[in-house]
Amino acid sequence: MRTGVFHETFAAEERLWDSPTARTWMLTFTALLFTMPAWGSDYVLAMACIIGIHVIATLGLNLTTGNAGLISLAHAAFLGVGCYTVAFLGRHGVPFYIALPAAGALAAALGVVVGLPSLRVKGIYLAIATIAAHFILTFVFREWESVTGGVPGTAIPRANLFGFEFRGDRRNFYLIFGCAFILALAARNLARTHIGRAFVAVRDRDFSAEILGVNLMRTKLLAFALGAFYAGTAGGLLGYFYGNITPDYFLLTLSVFYLAAIIVGGLGSVLGSVLGALFMTFVPEALRLFAQASSDRFPGVAGLLLPMQQAVFGILIIAFLIFEPHGLAAIWARVRRTFHLWPFRT
Amino acid sequence: MTSLIRRKIVQGLGAAASVGPFSIGSVLAQKNEIVIGAAQPITGVFSFAGVAMNNGLNDFCQWKNSKGGVQGRNLRYVAEDSGFKLDQGVAIFKKIMASEKPNFFYGDSTQWVKAVTQDAVASNHVMTSSTSLATVVADVKQVPQNIVPGPTYPRLHEILMEYIARTSRSGPKPNIAYVYADTEFGRDGIPGGKARAEKLGLPIVAEIVTKQSGIDVAPEVAKLRRAKPDIVIFQGYILAPMPEFVRQLREAGLNPQIMGTAWGLDKPAYDALGALGVRLTGASMYRYGHETDGPMINEMRTYLAKARPDVKNISPFYISSWLSGMIFAEIADRCLKAKKELTLPNMQAALSTMKEWDTGGVTGLLADVSQHQIPAGRIYSYDPDKKTMEPASGWIKV
Repeated sequence: MRTGVFHETFAAEERLWDSPTARTWMLTFTALLFTMPAWGSDYVLAMACIIGIHVIATLGLNLTTGNAGLISLAHAAFLGVGCYTVAFLGRHGVPFYIALPAAGALAAALGVVVGLPSLRVKGIYLAIATIAAHFILTFVFREWESVTGGVPGTAIPRANLFGFEFRGDRRNFYLIFGCAFILALAARNLARTHIGRAFVAVRDRDFSAEILGVNLMRTKLLAFALGAFYAGTAGGLLGYFYGNITPDYFLLTLSVFYLAAIIVGGLGSVLGSVLGALFMTFVPEALRLFAQASSDRFPGVAGLLLPMQQAVFGILIIAFLIFEPHGLAAIWARVRRTFHLWPFRT
Repeated sequence: MTSLIRRKIVQGLGAAASVGPFSIGSVLAQKNEIVIGAAQPITGVFSFAGVAMNNGLNDFCQWKNSKGGVQGRNLRYVAEDSGFKLDQGVAIFKKIMASEKPNFFYGDSTQWVKAVTQDAVASNHVMTSSTSLATVVADVKQVPQNIVPGPTYPRLHEILMEYIARTSRSGPKPNIAYVYADTEFGRDGIPGGKARAEKLGLPIVAEIVTKQSGIDVAPEVAKLRRAKPDIVIFQGYILAPMPEFVRQLREAGLNPQIMGTAWGLDKPAYDALGALGVRLTGASMYRYGHETDGPMINEMRTYLAKARPDVKNISPFYISSWLSGMIFAEIADRCLKAKKELTLPNMQAALSTMKEWDTGGVTGLLADVSQHQIPAGRIYSYDPDKKTMEPASGWIKV
């Protein structure tokens, strides 16, 4: 919580952006983001699209794991479900504005099934149960050739809105970030509702939550369903972005990637999801570019620097866990507190 | 102190982040040069091949430039490390496409080729190739910009079956067992091989699918023991678990002939199996780097000795990317000779004329690349005296 901020009403405390400065920054950020196709290079836009997809998926996992405390390692598989759903529906002429929510809905339904073990087990046992779900789903991706295209994968028709085709990254950008913006807002709002509070209660002590009247079964399954819905939507967008997909994309390492993103970003925080996805996507890329640039100037060190980037990335994550276990969101909160005292006092 | 370190880390990250994606690439392609872009897996799980692939294409460009380039134009090679990650590989493609406007692009996987196809076709100025020999990236209709630098996996298996059928004409048909990884590299060639085996009357007595790595070999060997194969064909492995299979087969009293294709016939495999007394045999799409009857292989060896004296073995990955470079250069040469711009339709038209193209012995026969692949190969067998793979057949076209 920031110092020197006094809310006089509950509504004031519950506002998403609680000061004119915060609203101004948010508006500026949104304007910059949504004008990016006008000023960003092809490369910047491609990276932005990938980050946008990862942000949506990370938001979903943060709802399940960060907010409700239920570990899921089946997130990559949910992405796959979404991706193959839009591919299948697209091939049958279903427009994207139906296919994309359907992708999320199907992933959510599967999320409920995968979440069933959470009613009996938690922690590491739940993680193992979700790993099993991951392997079952990825097996289906490889073997159900008529729907998924099997190991060679499948093509995904472009998203098309009444004749306007989302061809190329500049158009896909709006599709991806439109969804990301809506879903981030929804996640932020969810935290303010009784459902969001029930998630936190279940995470902190599920017995106590049940005594307080929280329906554990419904809450846990809803947390899985919502997380999977976000992942399914992200998977659908991934399909539209790449146009072609193979099961090799949805590996267990992708689930670990998202788990690392919410830990680095900050558990149970929308901002943490965004920053975590940004960090996990962008820092390896920045390290790679740095290594590449250094190699151009010092050709002798190319062989050393390129393999080093993975080690550096690993060290950065460990450093975060040691020095800032609350993630990037906590660093951002500290920065805000500092700036709130000077020069942006509101 | 702790907060100081934290601040330094955050500042460092910020600086690294600000340098990266917004930095402007080098100048766009000049009129007197032809740019070849590449997303190479120099790090990551495929780095054992990626380094050789990167060196192969880079060295070809340097070698070609030393010979005067293509119609007086130099080849400029622009490569970045993909880490064998699709996101990274696609981002590199988009970055180099925007900053360099390349006419050719080399990628790291089947997935990569499929993911960039729509953008590559839409750009109308780039053809792609990669290390992938998968059937899906040789589909001229679905992936019209891609060239497979060799036969597809099914064709390699057809070549292998042809060889088995030819060598067993006089005696009984050998029982064949397939052991393959549950990956595209493992599975892609199997249906083609099985279909050709059926046509040739060769019995497939066992078919075992395994994970790519971390395999418990014992239960699979038990299946093979029941099937009693004369030949075991491995597909989808670079080395492991082939030696372990051989050891346990020996312990079970079986001594089948071990066969493979493509990347599974590289030095790590034939050395390890050779140490166990196995004469690895298989279908290769290229000549080996130690052979002296291919002029281009000799050029390659001479260039390597000069440019990379520490490299003692020419990997098939090196030869593959060098060959991709040769195909790129030949397409550009044919377009420029006909005074045509390097657009995708013009380059496709040039490729369609490459029906009897001399690869300088990298592949044995005059290569027909018109269908975006080179459908020929040759059987090689391990020679324990020379400790190398030596030709066991002529070149077979399928």
